[in-house]
Amino acid sequence: MLNLGQSVFLKNNDKIKKTVVKIPSDIKYIRRISSKVLEAAASHEIDDSMKFDIRLCVEEALINAIVHGNRRDVTKPVKVTYWLKNSNLNIEVEDRGSGFDYRQLSDPTANDNIMKGSGRGVYLIRSLMDEVEYNDTGNKVKMTKRLGA
Amino acid sequence: MPIRLENKNNLTVCHIDGEIDINSSPGIKKAFDKLIAKKEPKVVVNFSKVSYVDSSGLATLVEVLKNMRTYGGRLRLTNLSPKIKSLFEITKLEKLFDIVAEEEEAISTFM
Repeated sequence: MLNLGQSVFLKNNDKIKKTVVKIPSDIKYIRRISSKVLEAAASHEIDDSMKFDIRLCVEEALINAIVHGNRRDVTKPVKVTYWLKNSNLNIEVEDRGSGFDYRQLSDPTANDNIMKGSGRGVYLIRSLMDEVEYNDTGNKVKMTKRLGA
Repeated sequence: MPIRLENKNNLTVCHIDGEIDINSSPGIKKAFDKLIAKKEPKVVVNFSKVSYVDSSGLATLVEVLKNMRTYGGRLRLTNLSPKIKSLFEITKLEKLFDIVAEEEEAISTFM
Protein backbone atom coordinates (compact mmCIF):
# COMPACT_ATOMS: atom_id res chain seq x y z
CA MET A 1 0.00 0.00 0.00
CA LEU A 2 1.22 3.50 -0.74
CA ASN A 3 1.95 5.79 2.13
CA LEU A 4 -0.58 8.50 2.60
CA GLY A 5 0.52 11.57 0.77
CA GLN A 6 2.29 9.72 -2.01
CA SER A 7 0.42 10.06 -5.21
CA VAL A 8 0.83 8.36 -8.53
CA PHE A 9 0.21 10.52 -11.53
CA LEU A 10 -1.28 8.67 -14.43
CA LYS A 11 -1.61 10.06 -17.88
CA ASN A 12 -4.09 8.52 -20.19
CA ASN A 13 -4.46 9.22 -23.87
CA ASP A 14 -6.29 12.47 -23.17
CA LYS A 15 -3.23 13.77 -21.28
CA ILE A 16 -5.31 14.07 -18.15
CA LYS A 17 -3.32 14.09 -14.95
CA LYS A 18 -4.91 11.74 -12.47
CA THR A 19 -3.86 11.50 -8.85
CA VAL A 20 -4.16 8.14 -7.14
CA VAL A 21 -3.91 7.77 -3.37
CA LYS A 22 -4.36 4.60 -1.36
CA ILE A 23 -5.20 4.77 2.33
CA PRO A 24 -5.71 2.13 5.01
CA SER A 25 -9.32 1.62 6.08
CA ASP A 26 -9.22 4.04 8.99
CA ILE A 27 -11.50 7.05 9.25
CA LYS A 28 -8.65 9.17 10.62
CA TYR A 29 -7.45 9.65 7.02
CA ILE A 30 -10.65 11.00 5.50
CA ARG A 31 -10.08 14.68 6.29
CA ARG A 32 -6.63 14.63 4.71
CA ILE A 33 -7.98 13.08 1.53
CA SER A 34 -10.86 15.54 1.20
CA SER A 35 -8.34 18.38 1.67
CA LYS A 36 -6.17 16.97 -1.12
CA VAL A 37 -9.15 16.77 -3.46
CA LEU A 38 -10.09 20.36 -2.65
CA GLU A 39 -6.50 21.44 -3.36
CA ALA A 40 -6.83 19.86 -6.80
CA ALA A 41 -9.90 21.99 -7.44
CA ALA A 42 -8.20 25.17 -6.23
CA SER A 43 -7.28 26.23 -9.77
CA HIS A 44 -10.97 27.02 -10.21
CA GLU A 45 -12.76 29.74 -8.31
CA ILE A 46 -15.18 27.77 -6.19
CA ASP A 47 -17.17 29.25 -3.36
CA ASP A 48 -17.42 27.98 0.20
CA SER A 49 -20.73 26.27 -0.49
CA MET A 50 -19.24 24.16 -3.28
CA LYS A 51 -16.17 23.41 -1.18
CA PHE A 52 -18.50 22.16 1.57
CA ASP A 53 -20.36 19.93 -0.93
CA ILE A 54 -17.16 18.45 -2.36
CA ARG A 55 -15.69 17.82 1.07
CA LEU A 56 -18.91 16.23 2.31
CA CYS A 57 -19.31 13.94 -0.72
CA VAL A 58 -15.68 12.81 -0.67
CA GLU A 59 -15.85 12.08 3.05
CA GLU A 60 -19.21 10.29 2.77
CA ALA A 61 -17.85 8.09 -0.03
CA LEU A 62 -14.72 7.35 2.04
CA ILE A 63 -16.78 6.51 5.13
CA ASN A 64 -18.89 4.10 3.08
CA ALA A 65 -15.76 2.49 1.64
CA ILE A 66 -13.96 2.21 4.99
CA VAL A 67 -16.86 1.31 7.27
CA HIS A 68 -19.25 -0.64 5.02
CA GLY A 69 -16.97 -1.78 2.18
CA ASN A 70 -13.76 -2.79 3.96
CA ARG A 71 -15.39 -3.09 7.41
CA ARG A 72 -12.55 -1.03 8.95
CA ASP A 73 -9.98 -3.73 8.09
CA VAL A 74 -6.83 -1.57 8.00
CA THR A 75 -5.06 -4.14 5.83
CA LYS A 76 -7.54 -3.43 3.06
CA PRO A 77 -6.85 -0.22 1.18
CA VAL A 78 -9.28 2.31 -0.17
CA LYS A 79 -8.17 3.69 -3.51
CA VAL A 80 -9.01 7.28 -4.35
CA THR A 81 -8.43 8.67 -7.85
CA TYR A 82 -9.21 12.25 -8.76
CA TRP A 83 -8.69 14.45 -11.77
CA LEU A 84 -9.89 17.58 -13.50
CA LYS A 85 -11.25 17.46 -17.02
CA ASN A 86 -13.06 20.29 -18.80
CA SER A 87 -13.80 22.08 -15.52
CA ASN A 88 -15.24 18.88 -14.09
CA LEU A 89 -13.79 17.50 -10.89
CA ASN A 90 -13.96 13.71 -10.97
CA ILE A 91 -13.41 11.54 -7.91
CA GLU A 92 -13.42 7.74 -7.79
CA VAL A 93 -13.47 5.86 -4.50
CA GLU A 94 -12.94 2.09 -4.57
CA ASP A 95 -12.89 -0.39 -1.72
CA ARG A 96 -12.10 -4.12 -1.50
CA GLY A 97 -15.52 -5.09 -0.20
CA SER A 98 -18.14 -7.21 -1.90
CA GLY A 99 -20.08 -4.09 -2.89
CA PHE A 100 -23.74 -3.33 -2.53
CA ASP A 101 -26.73 -2.93 -4.80
CA TYR A 102 -27.10 0.82 -4.97
CA ARG A 103 -30.39 0.36 -6.86
CA GLN A 104 -31.93 -1.28 -3.81
CA LEU A 105 -31.14 1.52 -1.36
CA SER A 106 -34.19 2.74 0.46
CA ASP A 107 -35.12 6.40 0.42
CA PRO A 108 -33.94 7.88 3.74
CA THR A 109 -36.43 10.75 3.38
CA ALA A 110 -39.46 8.40 3.31
CA ASN A 111 -41.64 8.52 6.44
CA ASP A 112 -40.76 4.91 7.32
CA ASN A 113 -37.02 5.64 7.14
CA ILE A 114 -36.68 9.21 8.37
CA MET A 115 -35.90 8.11 11.96
CA LYS A 116 -33.31 5.56 10.85
CA GLY A 117 -29.63 6.11 11.47
CA SER A 118 -28.27 5.10 8.09
CA GLY A 119 -28.76 5.71 4.39
CA ARG A 120 -28.16 9.44 4.22
CA GLY A 121 -24.54 9.32 3.01
CA VAL A 122 -25.29 7.99 -0.47
CA TYR A 123 -28.40 10.17 -0.62
CA LEU A 124 -26.34 13.30 0.09
CA ILE A 125 -23.78 12.30 -2.56
CA ARG A 126 -26.54 11.84 -5.12
CA SER A 127 -28.09 15.17 -4.15
CA LEU A 128 -24.95 17.29 -4.10
CA MET A 129 -22.85 15.87 -6.95
CA ASP A 130 -23.71 16.50 -10.60
CA GLU A 131 -23.09 12.90 -11.69
CA VAL A 132 -22.76 9.71 -9.66
CA GLU A 133 -22.01 6.29 -11.11
CA TYR A 134 -21.37 2.93 -9.46
CA ASN A 135 -19.69 -0.05 -11.01
CA ASP A 136 -21.77 -3.23 -11.30
CA THR A 137 -20.31 -4.72 -8.13
CA GLY A 138 -21.06 -1.57 -6.16
CA ASN A 139 -17.59 -1.26 -4.63
CA LYS A 140 -16.53 1.73 -6.73
CA VAL A 141 -18.25 5.07 -7.03
CA LYS A 142 -17.38 7.83 -9.49
CA MET A 143 -18.58 11.31 -8.62
CA THR A 144 -18.40 14.39 -10.82
CA LYS A 145 -18.82 18.01 -9.80
CA ARG A 146 -18.99 20.76 -12.41
CA LEU A 147 -16.81 23.57 -11.14
CA GLY A 148 -17.80 26.22 -13.65
CA ALA A 149 -15.37 28.49 -15.47
CA MET B 1 -15.33 18.29 20.79
CA PRO B 2 -16.07 21.17 23.18
CA ILE B 3 -19.70 21.19 24.32
CA ARG B 4 -20.84 23.86 26.75
CA LEU B 5 -24.09 23.46 28.65
CA GLU B 6 -25.96 26.43 29.99
CA ASN B 7 -29.19 26.71 31.98
CA LYS B 8 -31.48 29.47 30.80
CA ASN B 9 -35.16 29.94 31.66
CA ASN B 10 -35.48 26.40 33.01
CA LEU B 11 -34.11 24.77 29.90
CA THR B 12 -30.69 23.57 28.80
CA VAL B 13 -28.84 25.31 26.00
CA CYS B 14 -26.13 23.19 24.44
CA HIS B 15 -23.37 25.03 22.56
CA ILE B 16 -21.38 22.80 20.23
CA ASP B 17 -18.08 24.15 18.93
CA GLY B 18 -16.60 22.54 15.82
CA GLU B 19 -17.73 19.78 13.48
CA ILE B 20 -20.39 17.13 14.01
CA ASP B 21 -18.99 14.26 11.98
CA ILE B 22 -18.02 10.60 12.20
CA ASN B 23 -15.05 11.46 14.44
CA SER B 24 -16.86 13.70 16.91
CA SER B 25 -20.31 12.06 16.91
CA PRO B 26 -19.57 9.46 19.64
CA GLY B 27 -18.47 12.22 22.06
CA ILE B 28 -21.50 14.34 21.24
CA LYS B 29 -23.79 11.35 21.69
CA LYS B 30 -22.25 10.71 25.13
CA ALA B 31 -22.87 14.32 26.19
CA PHE B 32 -26.51 14.12 25.12
CA ASP B 33 -26.92 10.71 26.78
CA LYS B 34 -26.19 12.42 30.12
CA LEU B 35 -28.97 14.94 29.49
CA ILE B 36 -31.32 12.15 28.42
CA ALA B 37 -30.48 10.11 31.54
CA LYS B 38 -31.62 13.12 33.59
CA LYS B 39 -34.74 13.35 31.41
CA GLU B 40 -34.07 16.96 30.50
CA PRO B 41 -37.45 18.19 29.29
CA LYS B 42 -36.27 20.96 26.95
CA VAL B 43 -32.93 21.21 25.16
CA VAL B 44 -31.85 23.90 22.71
CA VAL B 45 -28.79 23.13 20.59
CA ASN B 46 -26.99 26.24 19.36
CA PHE B 47 -25.19 25.60 16.05
CA SER B 48 -23.58 29.04 15.71
CA LYS B 49 -20.08 27.52 16.09
CA VAL B 50 -20.77 24.36 14.08
CA SER B 51 -19.02 24.57 10.74
CA TYR B 52 -19.64 21.08 9.34
CA VAL B 53 -22.09 18.22 9.72
CA ASP B 54 -21.96 14.88 7.92
CA SER B 55 -24.44 11.99 7.72
CA SER B 56 -23.04 10.49 10.95
CA GLY B 57 -23.74 13.81 12.68
CA LEU B 58 -27.26 13.90 11.29
CA ALA B 59 -27.80 10.30 12.45
CA THR B 60 -26.57 11.21 15.94
CA LEU B 61 -29.02 14.11 16.17
CA VAL B 62 -31.86 11.84 14.99
CA GLU B 63 -30.89 9.33 17.70
CA VAL B 64 -30.90 12.08 20.36
CA LEU B 65 -34.32 13.27 19.21
CA LYS B 66 -35.68 9.71 19.22
CA ASN B 67 -34.36 9.08 22.74
CA MET B 68 -35.71 12.38 24.07
CA ARG B 69 -39.14 11.60 22.66
CA THR B 70 -39.33 8.39 24.72
CA TYR B 71 -39.89 10.47 27.88
CA GLY B 72 -41.63 13.44 26.24
CA GLY B 73 -38.49 15.58 26.03
CA ARG B 74 -38.24 18.23 23.34
CA LEU B 75 -35.28 19.32 21.26
CA ARG B 76 -34.80 22.57 19.38
CA LEU B 77 -32.00 23.46 16.98
CA THR B 78 -30.98 27.05 16.46
CA ASN B 79 -28.47 29.31 14.67
CA LEU B 80 -27.81 26.86 11.83
CA SER B 81 -25.69 28.24 9.00
CA PRO B 82 -27.50 28.32 5.64
CA LYS B 83 -25.30 25.45 4.43
CA ILE B 84 -26.02 23.19 7.39
CA LYS B 85 -29.70 24.08 7.25
CA SER B 86 -29.68 23.02 3.60
CA LEU B 87 -28.55 19.52 4.65
CA PHE B 88 -31.64 19.28 6.88
CA GLU B 89 -33.75 20.39 3.92
CA ILE B 90 -32.19 17.94 1.44
CA THR B 91 -32.62 15.01 3.83
CA LYS B 92 -36.12 16.21 4.84
CA LEU B 93 -34.99 16.25 8.47
CA GLU B 94 -36.33 19.79 8.69
CA LYS B 95 -39.78 18.12 8.99
CA LEU B 96 -38.58 16.12 11.98
CA PHE B 97 -36.65 18.76 13.88
CA ASP B 98 -37.90 21.96 15.46
CA ILE B 99 -35.53 24.50 13.87
CA VAL B 100 -35.62 28.12 15.02
CA ALA B 101 -33.50 30.92 13.55
CA GLU B 102 -32.07 32.53 16.70
CA GLU B 103 -31.30 31.25 20.20
CA GLU B 104 -33.19 34.07 21.93
CA GLU B 105 -36.34 33.26 20.00
CA ALA B 106 -35.82 29.52 20.52
CA ILE B 107 -35.73 30.06 24.29
CA SER B 108 -38.44 32.68 24.67
CA THR B 109 -40.97 30.72 22.59
CA PHE B 110 -40.13 27.27 24.01
CA MET B 111 -43.37 26.64 25.94
